[in-house]
Amino acid sequence: MSDGNLTLKETFLRGIWKENPVAYQVLGICSALAVTVQMKTAIVMGLALTVVTGMSNFIISLLRKQIPSTIRIIVELTVIASLVIVIDQVLQAFLYDISKQLSVFVGLIITNCIVLGRAEAFALANPPLPALLDGLGNGLGYGLILVAVAFVRELLGAGKFVGISVIPQAWMDAGYAHMGLMVLAPGAFFIIGLLVWLKNSLPGASHEEKTGQ
Amino acid sequence: MSEPEKSERTKRIHAIKFAAILSVVCCLLITGASTGLKSFQQENRTLDRQKNILRAAGIVTLDAKPSREQIQSLFQEKIHEVEVDATGNFMETGEGKGLSLYLYREGKTLKAYVIPIESRGLWGKIKGYMALEADGETVAGFTVYSHSETPGLGGEIEKAWFQKNFIGKRIFNAANEFVSIAIAKGNVDTLAEKARANHVDGISGATLTGKYLTQGLKENLKQYEAVSVRLRNSKGITDE
Repeated sequence: MSDGNLTLKETFLRGIWKENPVAYQVLGICSALAVTVQMKTAIVMGLALTVVTGMSNFIISLLRKQIPSTIRIIVELTVIASLVIVIDQVLQAFLYDISKQLSVFVGLIITNCIVLGRAEAFALANPPLPALLDGLGNGLGYGLILVAVAFVRELLGAGKFVGISVIPQAWMDAGYAHMGLMVLAPGAFFIIGLLVWLKNSLPGASHEEKTGQ
Repeated sequence: MSEPEKSERTKRIHAIKFAAILSVVCCLLITGASTGLKSFQQENRTLDRQKNILRAAGIVTLDAKPSREQIQSLFQEKIHEVEVDATGNFMETGEGKGLSLYLYREGKTLKAYVIPIESRGLWGKIKGYMALEADGETVAGFTVYSHSETPGLGGEIEKAWFQKNFIGKRIFNAANEFVSIAIAKGNVDTLAEKARANHVDGISGATLTGKYLTQGLKENLKQYEAVSVRLRNSKGITDE
């Protein structure tokens, strides 16, 4: 990627919408299926990933001139994994409740291909500050899609919004039933597919327009 | 030695050096973080387990967020750790022969006893506590303090709504046989009237977590069956 001419603002915003990691780069789908049954877990995961992507991009960008190209992937993974483990240890010692909430997310963050994808595609070729912003932007973009998917799944699947029931009892009495499919992984596939379609059909955001195909 | 070959060699040496240095640095960081913070983490874990024992016994409600001091003083005052021998008698801990058990006493009367639960889950171990009332058969509460289930699906086992369903259930069926508590597929209302007292509502999308936890509860409770039997046979017994 030749991103030399991008302003810092563009670098940051690009990940959130135009080149959104889920909707445009199609990365991080596995975890997007796992944690989008409820909005609360989606928000926690989105924030956690934003912090990690930002920091790993920053560190890898600092090391970019030293990293031998032959072993760069394993180096990136080592940095990311160590970073996540150290953060988890600190949380366990001082913010135990947050650490318990994050429990399994920790593993999901290390294996999330967005972190590695951004390190590989951006941090290796750019200075630390843009790399940090790129990481934060992509993390937020991922979080945005997660929250959107979780909103639909939680509303249709459980009739709730951030854990609060929103379907009036009168509807339930009239025979309204929750959509069981939304709670299961295939529900997320449908929603993500529809979201990607929606995003790409909006002007100025489509893949075809950008590449001219 | 020709030029390109030499640069190839330096590159390789650089890669090995880099890998070695990176490994050492990362190792030191992780080891440092884990050993340096161990005492803090240990304290948090102990406190969390104590909180879950209090919750299971019903001393604090499932939604309550007691402070560190409250947990420590309540635990100190009301909970007593003992061991259980093969006939279901309580012994002081330290002999290391029996199963571990926590007694909840108000003054001298036994109100409930708390069994540590360790079950297989879908992704890892599920650890928690189940409290039974002094009658040896009614569930006073159930909590989970550690698991690796998927958040939003199997992870719901740590939520108050799921755990509340256990309160008042029985581990013996209508014919007075030991059956443990099973996690139903779907709502308990769909089951036969007789079975409802031994089942709790399942979690949609987490059939396997429910299945493993059902097995785990049965295995764990079975080990303590002697205690149940002894308490059922002698109503209003004191534990001394």
